[in-house]
Order: sequence, then structure tokens, then C-alpha cells
Amino acid sequence: MGRLEALLIVGFAACFINAAEGPRPRGVGPEFARFYESTDTFSCISSPSIQLPISHVNDDFCDCPDGSDEPGTSACAHLSSLSPYTVGAVPIGDVNTTLALPGYYCKNKGHQPSYVPFTNVNDGVCDYQLCCDGSDEWAKVGGIKCDDRCKEIGKEWRKLDEQRQKSASNAAKRRKELVAQAAILRQEVEVKIHTLETEIQAEEIKLKGLEANLAEAERQQRGKVVKRPGSGGKLSMLAQLARDRIEELREALIEVRSQRDMSKGRIAELEGILTTFKEEYNPNFNDEGVKRAVRGWEDYAARDKPTIGDEAHDRDLDEIAKPDSETGAIKWNEWEEPEESDVDVLYKIEAYLPAPFRDWIDKKLRDLRVLLIENGVLAPSSDVGSSKEVEEARNALKATEDSLKNNRNQLNTHKEDLEKNYGADDVFRALKDQCITKDSGEYTYELCWLGSTKQISKKNNGRTTMGNFVSIDSVTVDDEVPPDGKGLGSGVRVALRYENGQHCWNGPNRSTLVVLACAETDELWKITEEEKCVYRMEVGTPAVCEVAEKAQTLKDEL
Amino acid sequence: MVKHENFKTCEQSGFCKRNRAYADNVATYGNTWASPYTLDPNSVRIRHGYVTGTVLKSLKSGGQAVQLPVKLAFLESGVARVTIDEFKRQQKDIGLRHGSQARKERYNEAAAWALVTDGELDKSFSGEESEEETVVRYGPKQRYRAVIRHDPFSIDFFRDDELHIKINGRGLMNVEHWRAMVVKVEKGKSEKKDPEDGEDESTWWEETFGGNIDSKPRGPESVGMDISFIGYQHVYGIPGHASSLSLKQTRGGPGNYEQPYRLYNSDVFEYEMDSPMTLYGAIPLMQAHRKDSTVGVFWLNAAETWIDIVKQKVSSNPNSLVTGGGTDTETHWFSESGLLDVFVFLGPSPKDVVAQYSELTGYTQLPQQFALGYHQCRWNYVSDEDVKEVDTNFDKNNIPYDVIWLDIEYTDGKKYFTWDPHAFPDPLGMEKQLNDQERKLVVIIDPHIKNVDNYAVVKELKSMSLGVKDKNNKLFEGWCWPGSSHWVDCFNPVTIDWWRSLFTYKSFQGTAPNVFLWNDMNEPSVFNGPETTMPKDNIHHGNWEHRDVHNINGMTFVNATFEALLHRDPAISRRRPFILTRSYYAGSQRLGAMWTGDNLAAWSHLAASIPMILTHNVAGFPFAGADVGGFFGDPSKELLTRWYQAGAFYPFFRAHAHTDTRRREPYLAGDPYKEIITQALRLRYSLLPAWYTTFHSASTTGAPIIQPHYYAHPSDEAGFALDDQFYVGSTGLLAKPVTTAGAESISIYLPPNTLYYDYFTYTIHPGTGSTITIPTPLDKIPLLMRAGHIIPRKDHPRRSSGLMRYDPYTLLITLTPEGTANGDLYIDDGESYDYQEGAFIHRNFTFALNSLSSLDFEDEKQRNKGKKRREYVRQMDRVRVEKIIIVGVPGSWQARKEVRVVEDGEGRGVEMGFERGGAGTANVATVKDPGVRIGRDWRVEF
Repeated sequence: MGRLEALLIVGFAACFINAAEGPRPRGVGPEFARFYESTDTFSCISSPSIQLPISHVNDDFCDCPDGSDEPGTSACAHLSSLSPYTVGAVPIGDVNTTLALPGYYCKNKGHQPSYVPFTNVNDGVCDYQLCCDGSDEWAKVGGIKCDDRCKEIGKEWRKLDEQRQKSASNAAKRRKELVAQAAILRQEVEVKIHTLETEIQAEEIKLKGLEANLAEAERQQRGKVVKRPGSGGKLSMLAQLARDRIEELREALIEVRSQRDMSKGRIAELEGILTTFKEEYNPNFNDEGVKRAVRGWEDYAARDKPTIGDEAHDRDLDEIAKPDSETGAIKWNEWEEPEESDVDVLYKIEAYLPAPFRDWIDKKLRDLRVLLIENGVLAPSSDVGSSKEVEEARNALKATEDSLKNNRNQLNTHKEDLEKNYGADDVFRALKDQCITKDSGEYTYELCWLGSTKQISKKNNGRTTMGNFVSIDSVTVDDEVPPDGKGLGSGVRVALRYENGQHCWNGPNRSTLVVLACAETDELWKITEEEKCVYRMEVGTPAVCEVAEKAQTLKDEL
Repeated sequence: MVKHENFKTCEQSGFCKRNRAYADNVATYGNTWASPYTLDPNSVRIRHGYVTGTVLKSLKSGGQAVQLPVKLAFLESGVARVTIDEFKRQQKDIGLRHGSQARKERYNEAAAWALVTDGELDKSFSGEESEEETVVRYGPKQRYRAVIRHDPFSIDFFRDDELHIKINGRGLMNVEHWRAMVVKVEKGKSEKKDPEDGEDESTWWEETFGGNIDSKPRGPESVGMDISFIGYQHVYGIPGHASSLSLKQTRGGPGNYEQPYRLYNSDVFEYEMDSPMTLYGAIPLMQAHRKDSTVGVFWLNAAETWIDIVKQKVSSNPNSLVTGGGTDTETHWFSESGLLDVFVFLGPSPKDVVAQYSELTGYTQLPQQFALGYHQCRWNYVSDEDVKEVDTNFDKNNIPYDVIWLDIEYTDGKKYFTWDPHAFPDPLGMEKQLNDQERKLVVIIDPHIKNVDNYAVVKELKSMSLGVKDKNNKLFEGWCWPGSSHWVDCFNPVTIDWWRSLFTYKSFQGTAPNVFLWNDMNEPSVFNGPETTMPKDNIHHGNWEHRDVHNINGMTFVNATFEALLHRDPAISRRRPFILTRSYYAGSQRLGAMWTGDNLAAWSHLAASIPMILTHNVAGFPFAGADVGGFFGDPSKELLTRWYQAGAFYPFFRAHAHTDTRRREPYLAGDPYKEIITQALRLRYSLLPAWYTTFHSASTTGAPIIQPHYYAHPSDEAGFALDDQFYVGSTGLLAKPVTTAGAESISIYLPPNTLYYDYFTYTIHPGTGSTITIPTPLDKIPLLMRAGHIIPRKDHPRRSSGLMRYDPYTLLITLTPEGTANGDLYIDDGESYDYQEGAFIHRNFTFALNSLSSLDFEDEKQRNKGKKRREYVRQMDRVRVEKIIIVGVPGSWQARKEVRVVEDGEGRGVEMGFERGGAGTANVATVKDPGVRIGRDWRVEF
């Protein structure tokens, strides 16, 4: 057993066919001809110690443990690594019972030779896809006759192949264009980086100047005489206002809190109803409305819920909501009759001095104060209003800082972008953010290159994200390519992984594996749901054309 | 978890509670209980083959005794039938409440649906009547005797003068006669309740369950009877339940059930294991078995039915010839309405009981060959492309399968007979791809018809009035998959004609001849109905209440579909229909296959599937299976693999999965599971000749397709409760599927004085009445061959069974120590009815005295020599035997290199190989390509 298909098309066989055109037994491919040259005995390929009279070859009775004595019949088709028990009939020991031959060899003159699985030999079905010469049904069981159709099939194939070749060369051209586009896009980014770097340099210099300006403006500001902060009467008025306002807020808080508690109760009740609903509904009834509701509820229940008012928070609120009293947070009385601070006393002294001396003192004091502030001895007075100059200097600095930050961010983004994997030759840079769609059943599917994959309902236009782009990867595939060429074929293929789409009811977050194969245009060929909410898209795009060829070469070399 | 609150317990089912209370009350009387039913001696008439009379039910309240006409029929086959009706209802001399349109009689058409014949009356029967009793001798050589006692009425059944079955021996007979509803004033409660007059009347006139009210227009009308099996410790049958093969006691106690076995076809969501709870189908056939004797009863009633089982140890039974005491199994049956109609089978072997039962209710259908292959199902393959891709993937992986299935999503909005235009734009193209490898498609059609505008089917159903009616005689409307729906009433012959018209290729567009059917939800499942089914006061064709016909309803739907499929093709090229049904009744075996419904991907469900399928096999419905892999949930790969290994031995072999599960087609299993599953599938396919021969035998004798130990070894008491190992028909193949996780070995019980060989290794296992242990790595299927059999096989793996048609045969012979073996092979075209005109090959193989011969199974004289036969034989004439493997040959054969083959009077020498077995392993000889043709007489001299 195994993947016979991988070996079905033996491209190079054609060159040997004339050289090996001896009297090979039925079903033997030219590469195995040498095992069948003897005219009197046959040695099983994998167990050459087992020798059979030549008459046992193709006598429709399985003698060799590897089936090599029956290249032209289905007599050994049952052999597999798990059926060591019977070859003909008798249990055998540790002999290798894997089939030695890839299948029944169809010469397919006029087309390409290939192997048909032994299970298909003489089963009454003409397997023209693999065996256009019909030789797999040589025994004509049940009266079946499989005419040789290689001429027409080969012709058709060559026609299609020509188209494929043409299409492939177009695709290769198209890819070149994409790569060129990508290069331009990359260059644009590089230019941008260069510009940004220059700008950033300039801004950094500018920033230094502005910082100095601001410092000086502030220094000046700090030295200014501070007008006496409003009279005791004004402060107590403010305190009174503040007190009233806080009282108002306190009451509002209590009100809002009781409303919150009521809502909490209602939510709990609703969640209770829904929990019971979810437990008790009958999923077998498949009422879409009910299922949707349950699904919605499960999504809701699964989300991280903000804890509404845990105990600690509630205790804080209790504390906040307490009326201010002697023991409370704010002792309003103290504010209504403000005590004078030492600094204030200091300021007051000047009132007793003669004017010239007062000015001298004033200047000295101001210098002293600035000195003290600058040395961290005194705190700058918070109630100092900013002057216009300081404000302007600060704004200018802020603007430059913001611009710098922004530019630095942009620079980072662009730099990261340059390092990001856009596939070979950066080719996906040219496709980024472009989308293609395909109708399939009741949905339209959308693939946005390096963006997200979506399923869009034709019925209600509902959009479900099937994954967000994560990485470029490669997968090994083994598919037949249909005549229109819209298929993955076999070998290593570029694949884009899209993960963490919308959460699936009773399943994982949706994800999509986008497998790419070379084609002339971007086209979504096929969408399948491989497992619940695990999707696979097969997509044709010129973007992977040369890459696929490289992968193929690599494989051939191996 | 099953939702118990959705289904009734006995206490919640009025008549069940009343009948159990009746039994409890009788028990308080002990020996002093006198049943109020007497057979009026003056009424007794003995005719040719039957006896009639009137049983009188005296009422404690006084007044005229209730007249219950009784008929006892005695059939040539040895079956006795007891039918009890009620005179007043028979005469329609009763009043119905609520102005009901329902019929007044007790339902008397169950036989018309369940039976294919009433049986030939026994002409050699003799009866004599005395004052006390009427005695009837009947059956072959008058081996059987029925003693009908007049007062109280009871019947004892004897075989060879030994008592086997007693009817009303315990006096639990209870026929709830018609009475008018009277509004009574509360009366004092008596200490000891009289079972008739003092009983609980609260459920006589109306019952409520889960918010649904049953209007019960005819009041109480149940029938109950006790049936005792004297000297029998084991009873089997009465499917379907998720229970053991040997039925358990139901009146409490350690290891016993608290509830009776219930038969009320229901859509039980996530049913539980080891439970007497009702399931999807009902076959009221019970067999009782003891060493070398089997008897049985068939309770022909289509209404809700419960069965209590109690096993009584008896120190010594004066009526029984079994000395030294034993066990009696006492059963108590009661149904909500209808006739009391019991068939009694006196054996003496399990084969006889099943044969007699099958003769009455019909043999299992001989299915088309493909139906025995592997079926790939899922809810749902979502598009025609999806189906084609799954099909291609099987081929790419060299895994055989025959049928792919479509669940409800293929339809356009759950409207049956339509296709979803987006997902299935080209159903015929899809069917063609399948047909290219002779594969088939099965689509689902359920009995609920979507109630929506612009849907021709519902429009016709309404305009022609072909649906089930509600209690007010208006078209019944309920909820199922499509939402609001109506239900087709297939009791109506006009419905059947109409249903037939819907299936023509022209009408059901997008179906080709390789499309077959799946009838699901036919219990019927009604999402918003009581117990997820129809209200009992719904009205069917003929004005029968749903209550009367409930358990038969599912079968009538399959019957209509069967008719429809049969008539799709012109009469000259008619092919056998294939239908899978979830709901069934006695007789459904004539129409197709059943499966055990919505199981779970759990080891316990895998294990339970075997006793469940065995029970159906001994109850006359052998074409049974369980969803491989488990319907709900995702099986581990090990469980899935073991399930395939078990499923390869289910008569009906289908994998199925719920829509919320991950895909699990065999080719997705990965290494090493995929290869192991493939081997299990190939084993099934290589043994298809043996399976088909076994099905043929079932279709002519009623024999189980898989046979439990007691059936195959009726004398070996140690194996009577065995229900985890079984034989494939009479091939001698003994399978014991692995049903536990991580099993490194398994024990198999082998009866004394027998000899077995391992199917794969030819290891010798002598049977000694104890268990042997064999290692079971994941790729090992525990499968033995009993010595003395010849098993036909085809060793070339193909993509589908249809493509194996002309492949050569292998004969696998297991020799007894005496050097003998025999077996048979039945072949026909596997699809048409031509076999009924002789177009088949049936060979009898015998190995004795070092000679193997193949002779026609039939006698020369009986053989049909028509055109169809000649054509078929000619067509098959090239099919040969490619090898003969003889296991257990003497060592002296080593010297023989050649055997002599004689065919058509000409002899020739043919090569033979020999392999010495070594320690514990049998010697094996192989005749290589004897070249003999399968349809001809030949012999091989060793």
C-alpha cells in the first residue's frame, strides 16, 4: 500500500520505453524490467531467496510476499504491511509484505505511461484516467471491453498541456510584474525610511533648542512675585463650594450604586435563565434560532467579564460615600479658616519695610526662592499660573515631541515591514490588502492577502472571520490536477496560515490554511471545512509560480 | 445525558401504574387470589384447528359480567395463538367522550401490518372439553398440548408432556372493559384494595404529561396478562433497549431494574446504557431458554407496552419434569389499548422459535449485495463536490466502501424531495461518479412534511388529506427539523399510492437508480409532542387513535417507501429496495435494515452495541447495526479503530457522525490507524460471500445473522448469558470485538468438546468450557474459526463490492479432528429479483474422507430451469475457485505435492503446498488454482 499516485506519472519513463521494449510480462514498468529477464525462474524482488518457476509470473495466484510475481493481475492486491498472515494462504514470518511494484503498468501509447493500483486490474471498470489504453481490463471480466483511447485522450491532454504551458508562461510573466511591483513598493518604503530618518534628525536638534527655551521661560516665571493667594474669605468660599459639590457627587454615587446593584441582580437572573436554557434545550432539535441563541450565550459566557464591584471595590465605595465628618477624609473646617504657612509669613514681612529696601529685599528673596526651588529645597508653588511665554514654549516643545514620536513609530513600522516575510522575492508585498472571493453553496468566501479570511452569508450578509493572517508556511500536497489546471498537484506548496478567527460554537476559533499553487490569475478554487471550523482554501496565484518550480526542483533533487 | 423528565416512568403512565398495582395487590392475596376471569364452558366451541368461547369477567361491584370473546388458533407450524377481544367494543356499543371521531373497537389491524400470514390451521389437531378444562393436542405428531382451564381462565402449554408456559397462572389478567364515566362522590378507602373496583381511577379519563393533555375519549382500556416460563432462567428479546442480551429482572433488588421494559417507540436523545427505557423500535417477541429447550411468546399489540420480569427460584415445581428445583421466569405484559393477542412457540430449539416467528411476520429481506458493504455517513456531506471528494479520497487511499449517505442538509430548507440549489447543483453528476465504481447514494426522507407555501408536496398532502389528524379531526401540525410540519399517514392506502408517485425519477429530480433511502424520525419524532412524539389522541386512517397504532407507525412509513422504491423501475427490471429505518416493529425486517439510533462516541456504547444487535438478531430483525464511531462526540483514534473492527461484524455496517463532530473518514485517521481500519474493512469485504450466504439463509429461515452463544450452543449452560462474542451465521466464525481502551488481551469463552483456530495465525484453541486469552494489539481482531466449516471468501480487494462480482473464490476449510467440514455458498446478481426465478448459484461444500465436493444445494427436481437461471449460470461460468486452504491437516500431508481435481467427469492434477504449523499452530495445506468453476459440480481428492 501507500501513495501509488505519487508514482503514477513517471515522466522520465518515456525516454526508456524504446530501449526497454522487450518481452516484459504484462503490467511491468520499464524500470522493473530487469527483474523479469530470466526465462526459467523468477526471484521475488524483495525476497530474492524465493525463486519461482517463470510460469508462476502472472498466473493470477499470489506467490511472492511482495506481490512481484503478479505485476499484471490483482492476485496480490491484498498485500500490505498489516496483512503478514497470508500471502497465498500460509502465515509467514518477518518477511516484508509491502508491495514491491507501484501498480499495474499501462503503456498508454500515444499518451503518457502510468501505474494503476492493482485493486483496479480486471475489476470491470475502464480506468481511463490512469490507463487510457484500457489494458487494465485485459481479462474482459463480465464482458467489459476497454478500447484504447490514448489517441484522443493524449491529444486532448496535449492540447490542455499546451494551454497550461501558455498559461504557465503568462503566470510567470505576471509574477515578474508582481515582483517588480513589490520591489517598487519596497523601494517606496526604503525612501520613506530615509526621509523619516532625516526628519527625525532635524527634529531631535530642534527639540533640544525648544527644551532650552522652555527651561529659561520657566526659570523666569518661577522668579516672579507671587501674588498673595486670595484672601481667607475666598478660600473658605471655595471650600464651601467644593464641599457642596462633593456632597452632590456623593449622593449621585450612592444613587448610581444602587442602580448598579439592581442591574447586577437582573443580569444574574438573566444569566440564570440562559444557563438553564442552555442546559435544558434539546440540541438534537436543531432549531436554528435556539442554536444561535445558545451559541451567543456561550460566547458571552466565555468572554472575560469585567468584575462589577468586587468586595474591595465596594469597600472603597463605602468609604467614599461616607459623609465627611470629624473623622472623615476632608476636614472642611480647617479649610474654611486657613492657617498661614511659613512662606506666607515670609511674604508678609515686606509690608513693614520702606519701599527701596522692600524692592531690594524683594529681588533678593526672589533669587533665593528660585535658588531654593532649583536646589530642591522648596517646592515650587503649585498655584503659580503659567505665563504666556512658558505656555508657548511648552506647546512648541510638545508639538515637536509628538511629531518626533510619530515619526519614530513610523520608522519602526517601516523597518519592521522591511524585515517581515513577504515570501520569496517579497512577492506578497504586491498583493497585500487585495481580496478575492468565491461563491460556494450558501456562502461567499473572501481571502484578503495577508489580511483575513471571511465567510459571507448570501442569506443575511452576515460576515464571519475565518482567521487572520499569521505566517507564510509550506505544506506537502498530493492532489490530481484537473484538466482545467485548477488544482494543487503534488509537491511542496506555499501556504498562508490564518488563525484566531471567530470562535466556533462547540469548537475552536476558526482558522484557515490557504494553500497556493501557480496560476495565471488570483483565483479562489476551492474551500473545504476539513474539521469543524478548520478551513482550507485552495488558491491559484501567479505569486507562487517560480517558488513552486523551485520546490519541485528541490524535491526532484532529493 | 438522557433527559429522564421527557419520558414517562411506569408511575407516570396511567395503565402501567394500574397494572403494576393490580399485580402488587394480587400478591397480597397470595394463594387465596382468584382471578375474576372465567371461560364459560357453555360457550366453548372446538372447530377445525381452533377453539372459540367467551371469557367472563365478573365485577366486584356486581352487575352483568363483561363478555370477552376468546379465540385460540392452533397452527400447523406448532404455534398457538390466543386472541381476546371485548364484546361491547366489538359491537361498537359504547359512547365516546368529547365528541371524538375515534373508532370504538379495540384495534384489530396490528396483525394486518405485522403478519404476512395467519398461518395454516393444524388439521391434525384434536380437542376435548370437560367441565373444568378444554384440552387441545396439536403440532407435529401432536407433540404439544394446551390445557385451557375454565375457572379461573388460564392456559398451560406442554411440550412432550412437560409444562413450559403458563398464561394467567398468576391471575394478573386484566382487560379494562368499557364503562361510562361517572362522577363519583368520595368514598371511604378500603384496607385491602380490590384490584378491579378499588383501583386508582385518577388516570382513567384524562392524563397529563409534560404539559400535554391526553383526552382519552374511550377511557381505560388496557390489557394485561402474566406469562410464566416454567424452569427457564433466561429470557431474551423484546428489543429495542440498551440492555443485556439475557434480560434482567424489573422489580428492583440488587442488579435489577426498578422499571419494567418499555416498548413505546421514541426519539430518545442521548440514551443511557443498561436501562429498560424505551428506544426507537419495538419487537414484542420474547424467547425463554434453558439447557436444550427454547420457547417463546409474541405479544401482538401496537400500543404502548410494558413488560415486568421476575425470576423465581422454585424448590421443586410439581408441574415441571425438571427435578431438584430451578428457576421460573415470570413475565407480566400490559398494553394501553387494543386486543390481547399472544402467540406461543414451543420450540424446542432457538432455531425453531425464530423460524416459527419469521414464518408469521416474514423473513428478513434479502438485501442487495451493496447493502452488506461499508456505508459512509455523516451529518452532513455539505455539497455534491464534498461527496465527490470523499469518494475520491477513498480510492486514493485504496479503502473500499459501497455507499455514501446524505443527512437532512441536502434538502432545500428541509423540504424533502428537493435539493439545496447552492450546495447540490448537480446531484446527477455526483451520482454518476459514484455509479462509475458501482457505488450508491442514500438520502434521507422523513415522515414530517414542511408546512410552508410554495411546496408542492405539502400542498398535495393537504389537498388530498393524507396527513395524520389531531383529536378534532383537523390536520395535525407539530414541530420537527423543518419547523412547522405535517405527518404523512401511511396507514392510508391512498397515501402509499401518492408516496409512490413522489419517488419516480421524474418526480424526485436529481435521483438516479443508484439512490436509496433512509427513513429517520419515524417513531414519529415530534419535537413539541408528549415524550417527543405524537399526542395519543391523534387520529389515523380508519379513525384509529394514534394510541392504538403508535408502535406500528414507523413500519407503515417504511412500507410506503419500500413500495415507492419497488415501483421506481419498470416491473421487468425491478430491483430490491434498500431502506434504513430508525423505528420498527415486528415485520419491519421484511423492508430493510435498522440501526440503534443516536449513540455516543464512548467505549460503553461500543460495548453495548453488541448485545443490542444480538437481541435484534434473535428477535427476527437481524439486519441491524450501530453507528460506527458513535454519533455524538469525537472518538479517540483507538476507539474509532476498535469500532471499525467491531463494525466489520455488524450485519449493517455504517459509520455516522453528528454535525458538531470533527470529520473522521477512515483515510483521515493517520498512521497506524488508517491502515488498521483499512484491514478491518478489507476483512469485511473478503468475507462478503460468507455474509451474503448468511443473509440468504436469514431470508429463508429467519436464522440470526450474528448468533449469540446460547443460539449456537443451546446445551452449554455456561454461555447462556454471554453477549459479547458471537458467530457469523453458521460459518463457524467466532468474533469477540475489543470494546475497552488499551486492551492488551481478551478472553474468549469456548464451549467444551470443541476446536477452534485463529483466523489469522491458525493457532489451535481447543474448547474446554472455559476461557482462553489472546493478545490484542491494536491491529488484532479477535476472530476464531470453529473446526468443521468451509468458509467462502474473495481475496482480491476492490473499490466496492460490485466490482468483486467476477473475482475468484477462496475456500477456507477448518477440519475437525475427524477430518470433516462443510459449508455453503449462495450467490445471485445481488440486486434484482431474478433469484426468485432461479437465477442463483447455491453450492453445498463437503469435506470428508479426504475429498472435497461441491454439489448443488438444491435437489435436482426442485431446481428452476428457466431462462433467467440459464443466463445467470452462463454469466458466472468463468468464475473459478482460485485457492483452497485447509487448516488442521495431518502432518502426513507434507509429502503430497499434488491433488486430483475432477470436474465434468475429467480429472487432472493440481499443485498443493504444505506448511507445518509448529507449536500450537495447525498444519495448513493450500491447493493452488484448482481452476474449478464455482457454479459447477466438482470434487478434489486429497
